[in-house]
Amino acid sequence: MRKILAIGRVNTVRFLREKSNIFFVFVFPMMIVLLTGIAFGSGFDAKVGVHVAGDEGPLATQFVTALDDLADISVIRYDDPDRMLDAVQRGYTDGGVTLPEGYDEALVSGGTAQVEFVSRPDQGALLVRELVLEVVTDQARPVTAGRFVEGTGAGSLDEASAFAAAVPETVTVKSRSAGDSLFEEFVDLGQFDLGASQQLVLFMFLISLAGSAELIQTRKLGVARRMLSTPTSSRTILLGETAGRYGVALTQGLYIMIGTLLIFQVDWGDPIGAIAIVLVFGLVGTGAAMLMGSLFSNDQQAGGLGVLIGLGLAAIGGAMAPIEIFPETMQTIAKFTPHYWAIDGFAELVRRDGTMVDILPNLGVLAGFAAVLLTVASWRLQKVLTR
Amino acid sequence: MTPDNGRVLEASNLRKVFGDLVAVEDVSFHIGEGETYGLLGPNGAGKTTTISMVIGLLERDGGEVVVAGNPVTTKSTTAKAAIGYVPQDIAIYPDLTARENLSFFGHLYGMGGSDLKRRIDELLEVIGLADRADDRSEEFSGGMKRRLNIGIGLLHGPRLLMLDEPTVGVDPQSRNAILESVERLSGEGMAVLYTTHYMEEAERLCDRVGIIDEGQIKAEGTRAELVSLVGQRDKVSLVTADHAQEVAEALASHPDVVEVSGNESGIDLLVSGAAAALPALLQLAAGAGASVTSVEVVEPNLEAVFLHLTGKALRD
Repeated sequence: MRKILAIGRVNTVRFLREKSNIFFVFVFPMMIVLLTGIAFGSGFDAKVGVHVAGDEGPLATQFVTALDDLADISVIRYDDPDRMLDAVQRGYTDGGVTLPEGYDEALVSGGTAQVEFVSRPDQGALLVRELVLEVVTDQARPVTAGRFVEGTGAGSLDEASAFAAAVPETVTVKSRSAGDSLFEEFVDLGQFDLGASQQLVLFMFLISLAGSAELIQTRKLGVARRMLSTPTSSRTILLGETAGRYGVALTQGLYIMIGTLLIFQVDWGDPIGAIAIVLVFGLVGTGAAMLMGSLFSNDQQAGGLGVLIGLGLAAIGGAMAPIEIFPETMQTIAKFTPHYWAIDGFAELVRRDGTMVDILPNLGVLAGFAAVLLTVASWRLQKVLTR
Repeated sequence: MTPDNGRVLEASNLRKVFGDLVAVEDVSFHIGEGETYGLLGPNGAGKTTTISMVIGLLERDGGEVVVAGNPVTTKSTTAKAAIGYVPQDIAIYPDLTARENLSFFGHLYGMGGSDLKRRIDELLEVIGLADRADDRSEEFSGGMKRRLNIGIGLLHGPRLLMLDEPTVGVDPQSRNAILESVERLSGEGMAVLYTTHYMEEAERLCDRVGIIDEGQIKAEGTRAELVSLVGQRDKVSLVTADHAQEVAEALASHPDVVEVSGNESGIDLLVSGAAAALPALLQLAAGAGASVTSVEVVEPNLEAVFLHLTGKALRD
C-alpha cells in the first residue's frame, strides 16, 4: 500500500508542479463558471433604452417609470437617439423606445402620440416589445377614458383618468400551459448552478486526460522499466499510476465543487450523492487517461487528442449546453457518453431534489464505463510498461 | 532459495528471440562477491537484452537466472531486492528534485522513515549532489544526472549492482568519477555487472570479461586469459635514423622476436614479453650501427581480442 501511495503521490505532485496545469485546474474552471453564470445564469433581464424627445412631461415620466418598474426590464435613458440606436445595434440593449416630442400634450389634447420601438430582429426582442406595448396600453387606457369623460362634461381629465386607472380589468386573459416546459427545471436554479455542474464534469474529464502525459513520460523516460526492476510488482505499479491519475481527477472535481459552493453559493443538492458522482466519474476519467497513456508514446500527441476527445464528449454529453435543448437523436447519442450520466445525476440532485437512491442508475452506468476503461487500460499497460 | 556458493549472480543458458531474430543465445556467466564482470560488445550485441533478462524486465525464452540464491522472473520481487539497476537511459523524473527522486525509488525498494532519510543524505554526499539535493534534476548537467541515476541504484545497498553502459555521453571528468565509484563499490564487496562497448573501461574495471557479439558470448575470462587467445605478443615499434635493413636482420635473430616488418620510419616487431626483451633488442640495434630515436611498446588488448574473435572492430 505504501508503494501504491508513493507512486500516486509522485504522479499528483508532478502534475500539479506544471504551471499550466495549475492554471487549468484552479483558475480556468472558476473563470468559466463565473462567465457562464453571468452570461446565461441570470434568467430574462432585458435592458431597454428610452429617449424622450423634447421636454419631458409627467405622462412621459410616468411611462418611463412604469417601464422601469417591470420586473424583467431595466431602463437606460439616452439623450441622443443615435446613441440609443447604436446601443441596440451593438447588443448593449435589447430594445429602444422613443417618446415623441409633445407626448404629454398629444395625450392630454386628444391627439395621437406615436411611440417608436426599435430592436434587433431576434426572439428576445419580441418579448421586450410585448412588455413595452403593455406599458403603453396601461397608460393609454385611463387617458382615453378620461378624455371621454372630459368630452361629456362629466368631470376633468385628471380626475377621470385617475378614476379609470383605478377601475379593475373587466376582461382578463387566463393562460395555462400544456406539457412540461423545456426550462421549467431551470427556473429555481441559482445563477451559477447549471454551469457549475457542467464545468465540473467537463474539467474533471479534461484534466484526467491531461494526466495521461505523465504516464507516457514515465514510460518514455525509462522510469517505468526502472520501477519494475525494484521489488515492486507490475500490479502495484499499475495501481499506483491509477491512484495518481485518480488523485488529479478528484482534486479537480472536489476543488470545483467546494470552490463554487463557497464563492458562488452553488447548490449541489444532496452532498452524499454529489460526492458519489465525483468519486465514480473520477474513476471514468482515470480509466480514460490510463488507456490514452497506454496507447500513445508521444505525450504531446496524447495531449492534443485528449483535448479534442474531452471537448467532443463534453459537447455531445451536455456539458456545454443543456441536454434538454438537444434534438431527440442527439439526446439518445448523448447517453453513450459518461458525461451525460454524470450531468443527469447532478440534475437529479439539484433540479429534482433527488437523493443518492435516485442517482443509483447513473452511478451504475458510470461505474460500468470506469470498469471497462480501467480493465482495457491495465491489460494494455501490462504489455507496454517496459517499452 | 538455493545456496549461492559465493556467487551473487548465476545466469545459465539465456535465450531471447524477437520474431525471427535470435537476440541472445546460450549466454551463461556468473559473478561472485566483490567481483566486477564486464559484458563487452558493440551496440546491438545483446548486452541490454541480456541485462534485461537478468533483472527480470524481459521474459526469457530459455535459461535461468539466480540472484543471491533467489530465482529471477518477471514476476519475482525477492531476488530484485538484492539488485541495484542503473539503466543506460537516465531514468529519473526531471521535474522532481534529487532528494525526491531518491525518496521515490527508496519507497519502491521498501525503505521509509528516518532510515530512508539518513540513507538519502549519505548517498547525496557519495554522489556529490548534497548541495543540489533540493534542485530539480532537469537543472542538472549531464554528469550530475548520471550520478543521480547511479545513486538510485545504490539506495538500498544491493548485493549486485548492474550498470548498463553508464558512461555513454558523459564528460571525461564525470566518467572518471563513475569508474572510481564502481572500483570502490567492488572493493567493498559488491558484485558488479558492467556492460560497455568501451574497451578501456572493461580493462580498467573488470575482473572478468565476457565478449559478446550477435547475442553470444564468444569468450570469457580475465584480461590475461582473453589476451592469451591471440598470443602474449607485444608490438614494439622502433624509429631508426639509418641502417634499417641491418637492424631488422639483427633483431630477427633474437629468440623472443616472432615477426619483423618495416614501416615508413622504422621497424615493427612482434615480441613475446617485450618488457624483458627490450634492453637486449636495443643492444642488438646499436650493434647493427643504428641509432634508435624512439621506441613504442603496445601490449595486446581486448580490442585486439575482439577483432581476433569476431573479425570486426569493437566500435563498428
